[in-house]
Amino acid sequence: MSDWEPKIVSFLCNWCSYGAADLAGVSRMEYPPNVRVVRIPCTGRMSPKFALAALREGADAVWVSG
Amino acid sequence: MELLKHPRYVDESKCIACGACAEKCPKKVDDRYNMGLAKRKSVYVEYAQAVPLKYAIDSQSCIFLQKGKCGACQKICPTNAVDFTMKPTTETINVGAVVLAPGFTPFDPGRFDNYQYLNLPNVVTSMEFERLLSASGPTAGHVTRQSKDHGEPKKIAWFQCVGSRDQNKCDNSYCSSVCCMYAIKEAVIAKEHAGDGLECSIFYMDMRTHGKEFERFYNSAKDKGVRFIRSRVHTIDPTPDESLNVRYVGDDGKAVTETFDLVVLSVGLQTNPAVVELAKKLNVDLTAGRFCATETFAPVATSRPGVFVCGAFQGPKDIPQSVVDASAAAEAAGEILAPARGTLAKVPEKHAETNVNGQRPRIGVFVCRCGINIAGVVDVPSVAQYAATLPYVEYATDNLYACSQDTQDAMAQIIKEKNLNRVVVAACTPKTHEPLFQETLIAAGLNKYLFEMANIRNHNSWVHKNNPDLATKKAKDLVHSAVRKVTLANPLTEAELNVNQSAMVVGGGISGMAAALSLARQGYATHIVEREAQLGGQARNIFQTAKGERIAEKLQEMIQAVGNEKNISVHLNTTLTQVDGFVGNFKTTLASGGSQTTIEHGVTVIATGGKPYTPEEYFYGKDPRIMTSLELDRKFMANDPMIAKAESAVFIQCVGSRQPDRPYCSRVCCTHSVDSALQLKERQPDMNVYILYRDIRTYGEKELLYKKAREAGVIFIRYSSEDKPKVSVNGGKINVQATDHVLGWPVTIEADLLTLATAVLPNRDEQLATFFKVPLNEDGFFVERHAKLGPSEFATDGVFLCGLAHYPKPIDESIAQGKAAASRAITLLARKKIFTSGQVASVDPMVCSSCGVCVSVCPYSAPSFIDASARMHAGKAQINAVLCKGCGLCVASCRSGAIHLKGFDNDQIFAQIAAINWD
Repeated sequence: MSDWEPKIVSFLCNWCSYGAADLAGVSRMEYPPNVRVVRIPCTGRMSPKFALAALREGADAVWVSG
Repeated sequence: MELLKHPRYVDESKCIACGACAEKCPKKVDDRYNMGLAKRKSVYVEYAQAVPLKYAIDSQSCIFLQKGKCGACQKICPTNAVDFTMKPTTETINVGAVVLAPGFTPFDPGRFDNYQYLNLPNVVTSMEFERLLSASGPTAGHVTRQSKDHGEPKKIAWFQCVGSRDQNKCDNSYCSSVCCMYAIKEAVIAKEHAGDGLECSIFYMDMRTHGKEFERFYNSAKDKGVRFIRSRVHTIDPTPDESLNVRYVGDDGKAVTETFDLVVLSVGLQTNPAVVELAKKLNVDLTAGRFCATETFAPVATSRPGVFVCGAFQGPKDIPQSVVDASAAAEAAGEILAPARGTLAKVPEKHAETNVNGQRPRIGVFVCRCGINIAGVVDVPSVAQYAATLPYVEYATDNLYACSQDTQDAMAQIIKEKNLNRVVVAACTPKTHEPLFQETLIAAGLNKYLFEMANIRNHNSWVHKNNPDLATKKAKDLVHSAVRKVTLANPLTEAELNVNQSAMVVGGGISGMAAALSLARQGYATHIVEREAQLGGQARNIFQTAKGERIAEKLQEMIQAVGNEKNISVHLNTTLTQVDGFVGNFKTTLASGGSQTTIEHGVTVIATGGKPYTPEEYFYGKDPRIMTSLELDRKFMANDPMIAKAESAVFIQCVGSRQPDRPYCSRVCCTHSVDSALQLKERQPDMNVYILYRDIRTYGEKELLYKKAREAGVIFIRYSSEDKPKVSVNGGKINVQATDHVLGWPVTIEADLLTLATAVLPNRDEQLATFFKVPLNEDGFFVERHAKLGPSEFATDGVFLCGLAHYPKPIDESIAQGKAAASRAITLLARKKIFTSGQVASVDPMVCSSCGVCVSVCPYSAPSFIDASARMHAGKAQINAVLCKGCGLCVASCRSGAIHLKGFDNDQIFAQIAAINWD
């Protein structure tokens, strides 16, 4: 269990967190490759249905950031 | 103008910012951006957000440029962008106006022996502390001591006014305006990061939180446990563990020694000596504090015609004020350049668009190697091969650089040859490169919304370089998601809308007139609507400016200029009764003396001003000698004998401001009272003049006025909000009782004049707010689009804001904001047509239940109900595509699922999620 990593779907606001994830790349920060980013135009776009869909499709966790 | 351009030794047109050069560069130097707290290479980008994101070589430290050996960057660069042969170049350009925005330099506290900044590692400047707090800084936002223990500080002290309000140790007698607020911000953020265990103390002289919402922030910092100590620290002594013993005198006059783990010096703003030289070269005048000299009624004009100024070079100021200035300077330059507008514009070539409606999706996938940036980690050919197996993908390939011009040309060719109707590019981030690829689609005859990017560089190869297998798997997932999303994409249209080439300014005060004159001088028909019988607003009641200019004369000039301006129509005694329409096409009904007219206009500027608070305290209204600041100004203007007869005058500050029910600072009153006190002293040098205050907030170079008042013998007595002065009138004398803050004893002053520095109140015009769909804050001021970056406009397109309706401010700032609001409005008017984004929300009226959630949640006022008398879909919601920003809030909020966001519709996002292969 110790090396278990959660599979994460992240919904990132185009204007802030998505850009921050871009900058993490520019700065060559490293993080585990078990996250898949879905770009949304604003966290206002986030619907509970998206979180449920991500969990249904096999994700262990959902991360909304904006 | 002749410009000298220093070489960057990297060809901007070739550099793709892959960073290979910086990785190879053997030379490490102090990173100036991180205030020397971290190292960078000799070839570098200044900071991660730099625009353009292109590398440069620092010639002072580069081994090759200094010694002729090395050249490692040149060898590794995949695009041959490094060019050591570059030389400085000069360029001559012809311009009609110049805007100076050279900014400021933080004060260097190294020369202060008492703070020992150069010797003690745990004494840092506020700029260094900013970098320590920053997530992208040298400690990734984790505050540590700078001594070798790198321990977590438990007690941090801020010292205010380091290099400001100080003539003894440096030559900066002005207030830097921003340090109080940034120190509070730093303390609050540090506490948020470190938790309640961190003690933060701010040593200050006067707490100057005079900006919009700043007083609330100050109050909340106190609630969060930030300690405020009114004292100027004279000595710091190091302890054996490199902590710092701080010796100061407390409010009670007793000496205290307290130990802190870290001391932050809140350094002031000053003009760089190189900028002083530049000013000489350009022949523009400076002030005593070495800022650019300007006049109150022309706040962004330098002493040289055609040369304008904005930002901290005009005077120490914060971001919102700098942004206001910037727009104002652009407007001032625009007045000169208006006749030349559009003469250098190029019209883009139009391409016919292929109709793809009803076609089966035919997707092309282009996977970029980005040199080794992606291909060094991700197995790019296997990603392209995988893409080719996905449904509807007709063509998949990999490219060395997808963004290069030859690839773009090839891409357009392939789209045509293979009859592709949708495109996916797997490369870097859509935030920088989507527009470029969309141009290629347009050139190939495809609608630009039939496009999707998969971010396999910034979100993948750059951050998973030690995990190539999983990075390749992730790249395949991201490509699959993009393919599934673009499969469901539809061509979107961008509606076109004409902008009515005229403006309405609501309010004929100083800021409204400044806005109207700006609009008119740039050639736009402008209506000023004023409810009073005359123009001028509150300025009619004010005697003189902080710089000593007589307002009545200047105001008269301004009113005359408005009257002489052929583009301005003034509507006096007029109110608004109805507003229809939106950006570009407003229709406003005006009422005046029983008659109504309707005016069509493209933009609206709200400049409805403010009003003085009428005090209920301090015996106001019961004795003619007790008056407000504006009433004293009237007496100055009328040369009232009451002033000549008075032997003693008292001012009480913060009357109605900084109270629990009105928790904001009115910004102008300290300077006003200090100026009036000086005026009294000038007229009657023997008069005893007292100012009872809580914090003197003469920010910027207004501090010099405060100094002058002290020198002239004006006596300043501080009071606390718990122990306010008491006023009584007996036997013909006004008695003002207060506690002397130095002695701690009660003092009674017999006053012949008592002036109450009353708050500036907003008009709280709720009807106007409803008319233009713009918000008011708790205090009743209008809420701008963005507190820092959009101070002169609303979130609702086409509506702009200036003057006291935004927040209390003096005349120079009101005029600057009037010009700024006009400047922002002109960016719309000058376009003549606006194009909406294709990615907007739309309502399916058959499903809409008319619940109104979309109407109430939208911050941009885009949704509305279809008129009840409409033939179709009466009472259902509709969305104005012109106002919609495509945020999707209404879509997520719609209980009926009636709203769709084009380009980000539910089915597209579900498809993206479903495409992820978690096995």
